[in-house]
Amino acid sequence: MELLIASAVGVLSAAGIYMVLRLRTFPVIIGTSLLSYAVNVFLFASGRLAMNAPPVLRDGAVRYTDPLPQALVLTAIVISFGMTAVVVIMALGSWLSSDDDLVDRPAVSEGDARAPSMPEGDA
Amino acid sequence: MVLTVVAVGAHAWFSGTTGTETRRPLLPVTPIAVAAWAMLIAATGFLVAAHRNRLAVLMLMGIIGLMVSVGFNHFSAPDLALTQISVEVVTIILLLLALNFLPNTTPNESGALRRTRDAIIAGAGGIAATALTWTILSTEFPIAPISDYHLANSYKGGGGDNVVNVILVDFRGFDTFGEIIVLGIAALVIYALTEALLSSTVRRRLLNRGYEETQAGDAHPLMMVVLTRVMMPVILMVGVYIFLRGHNSPGGGFVAGLVVAIAVVTQYMASGFAWAARRQRYPYHGIIGAGVFVAGLTGIGAWLAGQPFLTSAFGYFRIPPMEEFELATAMGFDLGVFLAVVGAVMLSLESFSRLGYRAGTETSDHAMDIDPSRDEELTPAAGEQGKVI
Repeated sequence: MELLIASAVGVLSAAGIYMVLRLRTFPVIIGTSLLSYAVNVFLFASGRLAMNAPPVLRDGAVRYTDPLPQALVLTAIVISFGMTAVVVIMALGSWLSSDDDLVDRPAVSEGDARAPSMPEGDA
Repeated sequence: MVLTVVAVGAHAWFSGTTGTETRRPLLPVTPIAVAAWAMLIAATGFLVAAHRNRLAVLMLMGIIGLMVSVGFNHFSAPDLALTQISVEVVTIILLLLALNFLPNTTPNESGALRRTRDAIIAGAGGIAATALTWTILSTEFPIAPISDYHLANSYKGGGGDNVVNVILVDFRGFDTFGEIIVLGIAALVIYALTEALLSSTVRRRLLNRGYEETQAGDAHPLMMVVLTRVMMPVILMVGVYIFLRGHNSPGGGFVAGLVVAIAVVTQYMASGFAWAARRQRYPYHGIIGAGVFVAGLTGIGAWLAGQPFLTSAFGYFRIPPMEEFELATAMGFDLGVFLAVVGAVMLSLESFSRLGYRAGTETSDHAMDIDPSRDEELTPAAGEQGKVI
């Protein structure tokens, strides 16, 4: 079972890294979302896996899974929505105001009046 | 920068010592887990293969999010599963709204060389992530975690059975307080950027924008309107239920806030932005503010009792005909979290749909386009004019 989780984290990160390296804003946003799935699952898994042991106190229960990573990941999931939304509106702004959704333009050619597009603001 | 990362990695590789290296007994593989894993891997593979079709990407993202949520539930994290699935809904709606303006396909620009290079980098990253996760999962904790403290003190100190929620609102309340503020700021940034876009030349371009595809004739269909109207109180009830049980069972302010936001978003989807906006009584900025204010006030309340900021208290009360129930100050804090999440999610989604709304266009004041109970005769052309959601 541990190998399934480990490989799922690996596949999600690989797909995320590949998408982040694309040239347009939309795939980059998708890539950061995939990476955040991978990171969330990884953080959650760092509390080790346990089945049928939810961290809700009950009479007679002998073992509970680690609650701390769960609490940290819960807020991370909600915050990642906020961050995605901010990056999306930035991408949308750059597309609507310059008709261009390239993530980084190689060089501004001579006589090109348009400013180079904003670099992707996601950390 | 690459050099620095490689150097740090090399240093750790050569000088680092491993922990105790006690192997953990591995969990048995179940068929259900394999099926979910296969769906996740297949969806991710198709996503990368078909990433030029942006709508398909969003559908596959939905599958991935659902499988991650199922996985959380499988490994004893019901709170995370609930949060993941409701965040997934609002994220997909948000990306669909954005896709309304962005092109539907990604052009094929990078050559074979660049794609191979990216695939090699991604593959290396993936293998590293797998190896790291495997190493962590297959060994025991090198030092004892502090989680036992939380498990032991959750009921005694926080008065709640759901340890995850008690950690969020009691043990790490200050952290959560900061997080709802960050979420509120993110929503306000989105609002400000939308305002800036709408007051620039972009607005004219948006108004002159043609539609690439033919519009659906019935933008606000009767079935959808009636269904969402019936479901609204039911979903709100579920939201309240999830909120109230949060301290003792899976649920809490974050999940309840997302559920209520989804209930409100369905009204926007069914009857259009203009219709919903006219019936909106409280501005979403105010709801965010109220959330942060309520959470802060609960924290300050602890000062009056001579305790540090955000210290929580709880007690058990009884109103005669009912069973004994618990009241905790953490509930006030969770209410703040709830309000901030509702406000932040709604303000973000509303800002995106404002971009698509044309103030000049004539919008119907009716909830649905074709309503059998209405007396007036609808002209057949009415349905063909492009309605703007």
